[in-house]
Amino acid sequence: MAHASLSKFRSGWITQVRVIHALMIRELTTRYGRDNIGFLWIMVEPLLFAGLVALIWHFMYGETKHGVGITAFIVTGYIPITLFRHGVARSVAIFTANSSILYHRQVKILDFIVVRLLIELLGGMMAFVFIAGVLMVFDQFPVPTDIGLTIAGWMIYAFFSFSICLIIAPLSEMSEVVEKFVPVTTYVMIPFSGLFTLAEWLTPTMREYLMWSPFVSGMEMLRKGIWGDQITAYYYPWYTISCSVVATMIGLVLCRRVRRTLAVD
Amino acid sequence: MIVCSNLSKTYKHGSSQKQVFSNVNLVVEPGDRLALLGRNGAGKSTLIKLIGGVEMPTSGKIARKMSVSWPLGFAGGFQGSLTGYDNARFIARIYRREYSEIRAFVEDFSELGRQLRMPVKTYSSGMRARLAFALSLAIEFDCYLIDEIILVGDQNFSRKCQYELLEQRKNRTMILASHSTPLVREFCNKALLIHNGEATEYDDVGSAVDVYDSL
Repeated sequence: MAHASLSKFRSGWITQVRVIHALMIRELTTRYGRDNIGFLWIMVEPLLFAGLVALIWHFMYGETKHGVGITAFIVTGYIPITLFRHGVARSVAIFTANSSILYHRQVKILDFIVVRLLIELLGGMMAFVFIAGVLMVFDQFPVPTDIGLTIAGWMIYAFFSFSICLIIAPLSEMSEVVEKFVPVTTYVMIPFSGLFTLAEWLTPTMREYLMWSPFVSGMEMLRKGIWGDQITAYYYPWYTISCSVVATMIGLVLCRRVRRTLAVD
Repeated sequence: MIVCSNLSKTYKHGSSQKQVFSNVNLVVEPGDRLALLGRNGAGKSTLIKLIGGVEMPTSGKIARKMSVSWPLGFAGGFQGSLTGYDNARFIARIYRREYSEIRAFVEDFSELGRQLRMPVKTYSSGMRARLAFALSLAIEFDCYLIDEIILVGDQNFSRKCQYELLEQRKNRTMILASHSTPLVREFCNKALLIHNGEATEYDDVGSAVDVYDSL
């Protein structure tokens, strides 16, 4: 019995990996085509976003802020927020948009969200490596002191973003109101994402409030891994992970409910 | 074998709701050719979608003990912005088939030629039907779910479909929604008539068609 369910799980797993692989290729060819640089476009959006905003800040506020290079600081903040905002924006009505593919039974609605986030994740990472490499040549980006911590922070941030997408996607199918509130909400939350500030620059009371935002811990870890002893970071990874787990649970339940009533034409 | 027990489907939109059918019980044995009969809107396509696992029943259960195709119909199954070849590649990947074999079969069977390099959204419904049939025949399912489209397309293609599906694969199972009573009489051995939310199974196709004609 246990053996049978294990092999069932295994074959289901293999199928899902194949489906996700096929969906990723499909998504990349529909969105970016095969012309010119092709799928490399996935990193262009975050690259331009982070690069241009960093440039503006560089000329508006000077080279450094609290002893930290401003260009590098903004780049490290914008890549994660792009992941979150694009992930959420693309999760809206994602099931209806892809419904023709649901004709194939092995394609599950969760696959769509996983694929979306994986693409944003890869694009963000490629953009990050590229931009950091270029900036290092011009001595505008420090050599990371603890790359593991940076990756851990990025992963926690991505996990939380994923769990929010899992909730937004089914909610947007249940009510059209959600769709209208998503852009403004993701915009208003920018200051609470730890993008523009390090927790150490804040007053203790403000810091206490900001740490309630699950994004901040991921952001702080990511930056601590890059600047090391130059900055003091405040982070509670288990807090962010717990929030993500709870949001994932809620999201999975909602997805299951929505799938039952989803009309596919 | 496919076993449907106590299937009901209700669509909700806002405060209004529509019950398509309730309490449908159905057993499809291997080799059966089941005709789904009913007037427009009776729920034939809905039942096919439920059996294909595209939509979920509001209540009831479906057990599939053989490989079942996706519903072959006018809509669904393809990504419109991708070309015929890209769709074939996608389908080969998710059904774990060798793309080169699928491609060769599709080129030969569909006779779409250069059109396969065009996005599927530029296809006519007849061309879509060709592609869908070609792909599903290349994958080889135990049971084919066919929603109307068997009579789509020109004479030549219709004949080809009937040959490949109804003669070459005559031991396969088929569930066929159709308004074409001659076809149903000739090829099906069972019928399910859906009317006013209720489904009645007939072992004698002739009498099912008679009842359907009198509706």
